[in-house]
Amino acid sequence: MTLLRNTLLCTLIVLGGCLFLVAAQGKLKTGLSLAEKVENLVEMNMKKPLLRFNGAKFREYVKNAPRNYSMIVMLTALAPSRQCQICRHAHDEFTIVANSYRFLPIYSNKLFFASVDFDEGSDVFQLLRLNTAPVFMHFPAKGKPKGADTMDIHRVGFSADSIAKFVAERTDITIRVFRPPNYSGTVAMITLAALVGSFLYIRRNNLEFLYNKNLWGAAAVFFCFAMISGQMWNHIRGPPLVHKTQNGGVAYIHGSSQGQLVVETYIVMFLNAMIVLGMILLIESGTQKPNNRNRIIAIAGLVLLTVFFSFLLSVFRSKAQGYPYSFLFK
Amino acid sequence: MNRSSRILNSKVAGYSSLITFAVLLIAWIAGFSSRLFAVIRFESIIHEFDPWFNYRATAYMVQHGWYKFLNWFDERAWYPLGRIVGGTVYPGLMITSGSIHYILHVLNIPVHIRDICVFLAPVFSGLTSISTYLLTKELWSPGAGLFAASFIAIVPGYISRSVAGSYDNEGIAIFALQFTYFLWVRSVKTGSVFWSAGAAISYFYMVSAWGGYVFIINLIPLHVFVLLIMGRYSPRLLTSYSTFYILGLLFSMQIPFVGFQPIRTSEHMAAMGVFVLLMAVAVLRHLQSVLSRNEFKKLFIVGGLLAAAIVFVAVVGLTMMGVVAPWSGRFYSLWDTGYAKIHIPIIASVSEHQPTTWFSFFFDLHILVCAFPVGLWYCIKQINDERVFVVLYAISAVYFAGVMVRLMLTLTPVVCMLAGVAFSGLLDVFLQEDASKRTGSVMNSVSETDDLDESLEKKSLYDKAGKLRHRTKHDPTHEGGMSSNLKSIVILAVLMILMMFAVHCTWVTSNAYSSPSIVLAFHNSQDGSRNILDDFREAYYWLSQNTADDARIMSWWDYGYQIAGMANRTTLVDNNTWNNSHIALVGKAMSSTEEKSYSIMTSLDVDYVLVIFGGVIGYSGDDINKFLWMVRIAEGEHPKDIKESDFFTDRGEFRVDAEGAPALLNCLMYKLSYYRFGDLKLDYRGPSGYDRTRNAVIGNKDFDLTYLEEAYTTEHWLVRIYRVKKPYEFNRPSLKIKDRLIPPTNFISRKNLKRRKGLIRNRPTVVKGKRSLK
Repeated sequence: MTLLRNTLLCTLIVLGGCLFLVAAQGKLKTGLSLAEKVENLVEMNMKKPLLRFNGAKFREYVKNAPRNYSMIVMLTALAPSRQCQICRHAHDEFTIVANSYRFLPIYSNKLFFASVDFDEGSDVFQLLRLNTAPVFMHFPAKGKPKGADTMDIHRVGFSADSIAKFVAERTDITIRVFRPPNYSGTVAMITLAALVGSFLYIRRNNLEFLYNKNLWGAAAVFFCFAMISGQMWNHIRGPPLVHKTQNGGVAYIHGSSQGQLVVETYIVMFLNAMIVLGMILLIESGTQKPNNRNRIIAIAGLVLLTVFFSFLLSVFRSKAQGYPYSFLFK
Repeated sequence: MNRSSRILNSKVAGYSSLITFAVLLIAWIAGFSSRLFAVIRFESIIHEFDPWFNYRATAYMVQHGWYKFLNWFDERAWYPLGRIVGGTVYPGLMITSGSIHYILHVLNIPVHIRDICVFLAPVFSGLTSISTYLLTKELWSPGAGLFAASFIAIVPGYISRSVAGSYDNEGIAIFALQFTYFLWVRSVKTGSVFWSAGAAISYFYMVSAWGGYVFIINLIPLHVFVLLIMGRYSPRLLTSYSTFYILGLLFSMQIPFVGFQPIRTSEHMAAMGVFVLLMAVAVLRHLQSVLSRNEFKKLFIVGGLLAAAIVFVAVVGLTMMGVVAPWSGRFYSLWDTGYAKIHIPIIASVSEHQPTTWFSFFFDLHILVCAFPVGLWYCIKQINDERVFVVLYAISAVYFAGVMVRLMLTLTPVVCMLAGVAFSGLLDVFLQEDASKRTGSVMNSVSETDDLDESLEKKSLYDKAGKLRHRTKHDPTHEGGMSSNLKSIVILAVLMILMMFAVHCTWVTSNAYSSPSIVLAFHNSQDGSRNILDDFREAYYWLSQNTADDARIMSWWDYGYQIAGMANRTTLVDNNTWNNSHIALVGKAMSSTEEKSYSIMTSLDVDYVLVIFGGVIGYSGDDINKFLWMVRIAEGEHPKDIKESDFFTDRGEFRVDAEGAPALLNCLMYKLSYYRFGDLKLDYRGPSGYDRTRNAVIGNKDFDLTYLEEAYTTEHWLVRIYRVKKPYEFNRPSLKIKDRLIPPTNFISRKNLKRRKGLIRNRPTVVKGKRSLK
């Protein structure tokens, strides 16, 4: 009888313990309440516009319900050992967006920006089955992120404007990006101006070089070379340096007339420069006093002009389909 | 001796003016005839898009008179807004061709206004080459001028905007530009009020003709400014600039479209600033001659600082108050080159606003692009007041041409001039027959030899007997080691290169710049015959014959001018892209689903929708290829309804086949382009519904249109027109006739007398308030 009673007691105790444990675990699992979470987030946000989460915090504030706020999370790998160059750029741009949002009048507790570093929360990457960085994800207030909640950085890039656009698309909160003015350009300009100014000041007694026509002429001609070889196109479009062809070789010349490669523009610049040099030599050979050197100069000029013009023409021909003319060689 | 030299002089003068005249005449004829490819191949027809509006406006002006034209409110464009045409065009083009028409009719020469419009640009190319000759003559030498004139007559960079039928502002504006510059340089040289007033009048013509006048009103002040910095101030400069600026300002404000812009926008502020600066310099110069050295120094420092502060505060204050408008987007995009791409999709969408590759420089200018730095170099080496101008012209134009393909047009004249300088210098050296003549600056010598060579270049190969005699006579060793053999080789090589230039120009003109783009031609690969696709005109003619006079036609803005010009129907948007939100609304209608766009279309009273579809013949400039721009522009105004990302697949591709994004496969533009296309089998071997432009089988083949019906599709499916149904046409629950019969069934009634009353067996009993148990 006592045995039975003892067993019962034990069972009761065990059961009670179990119950207690289950209750405790349930309590643990709920963790903070919604109000507490929002309060904590706002408090953290006061200190830093861009929250930094590790694995536990991510699960606490992002993964677990209940939430009534959206979360834009950047998953990144900033440690130098990871050698992720674009992560740094992406981080900067993301911080700009987060900062702009923080100090806008529409700032509210409905949207937060956070980042998770791979080295602090690698479990998050496993949880979301990610193996690349950076990734921008939107966690909506209700439900799970869908396919469109991951920003397609290959297509739209990750500039602050496109991040803001992505945020506006997903959450209907339009963030006007406020970029902190970039002083590096101004500083460089001031330094340059100061250098030039001090240089002029030091040489104030000898400003002859400003009247040096060769210097000015060379600068102007070089500027023309830069423009006519399409450096402005390179600046705006940012083409690759060289192409890789299918059979493993390297192509220096873009195949179509619509594009160009960086190396190609340098080649064209060189060809143009040689043609111009050739013509100048030809003209100079006649303007100097008659002597024997003129003949050599004239021949050199002629060779430069014709050979490099033919080169240029054949490069042109290789880009223009069906162009029929060539000079000296194809 | 004296008498004989005078005779010789007059003889030389006679010859050189004859040669000048002949060369300019030949240049004019060559320039005119090389622009006629399109007329000969097709017909005398207005090209492309903008020219159609210009033509329509000109025809209106000829018909109704000048004042009616000035007050013309066009209710057929931008429905329902309309457009004030008189106040929103540069009227110079219309006035020019209208007055030619008037003069010819006074002389009883009955020419249709269309032919005047078609041939206006080629005729003006001759005037351009003459004014280029004059300008280059002022800057360098008559020989270089003749070279420049014949270069600009045939150079593709200019032909691209002035072929016969391309009736656009640029055709006459380049003439006005060059002529203004000529008069300006003349006035700087002479300091006479006459020439600078002439420059102001020519500037007035330029302002009335083209928005590019801003280039003049910034370049001339820049010239003055640089001259001031270089310490080249002179009373001549003061006279010419102040006359030019004041007269030009007053004249330019007479154009209704320009109005008060010259004193209110930032683009024009540089001219005003330089004017003030020039005045200040003049005053200081005067004071310097009156005051003592110490007094002047004090005054200079105090006055200079004060003036700078006042000017700065005034400019900033006026800009802040909104009196002076900041730089407009189009100009701003010239400086910050990434600006347009981010902020103004409608500018970025135009292919002419793209940066320039080296390929197109060489394509448009050939050897000239390599030769003009040589001319620039020599201009800097032998600088004077007017050569400062050409150097600045060259550097600014080459920068702008690098930023925007379209501005190649302003680069072309200066390239021709400087290349003319280079080639004339080169041939000066090598056609010189006598060593004694070569003393002094060869580059500046005005010899008839380069004129002669000029005519060689124009392939009218005549040679003066005297020159041959000289060349055979002289001693080769006497020439400082340059034998006549070497000289002839150099000349031969240069002539070869120039000949290649002429051939290149003809080839480029014929192949690239002579297509009217409303009539397409393609060569049949099998038998080499040439087929003409006249679908555009077919469709527009259909519209003009089969639709109500006030029918409103929705299409993408590219085709607005053509619909108005050829079909004479009301359009919603056109190539005058002044109202971005209206265009965005059309873009939204095109990129929404049929149902949503129907509500937009009814709110805009659209009767017909016109789309361009190139999938049958492989025409790449069709609406599906432009579609992303419609989406982008629509997204700019309606970011909640249209999202560009919806039109891409998950992998970020834009494709029309079965893997394409669902938003794309169901939008109006897709449906209108591909309606019934899925049934079409272009090739016996290939699948049906194969799009030749995008090389894909379309993804959404089998669909029907609810709110629209196909009205007309042209022969090669290039233009498709749909009629928008009225609400009663689809809203009524109608039954088709074949559905109105009750279908016979094999049902036999089991009812007989016994079981008259129907009973349901196993009827479920419904108990309220409780869940039924299973």
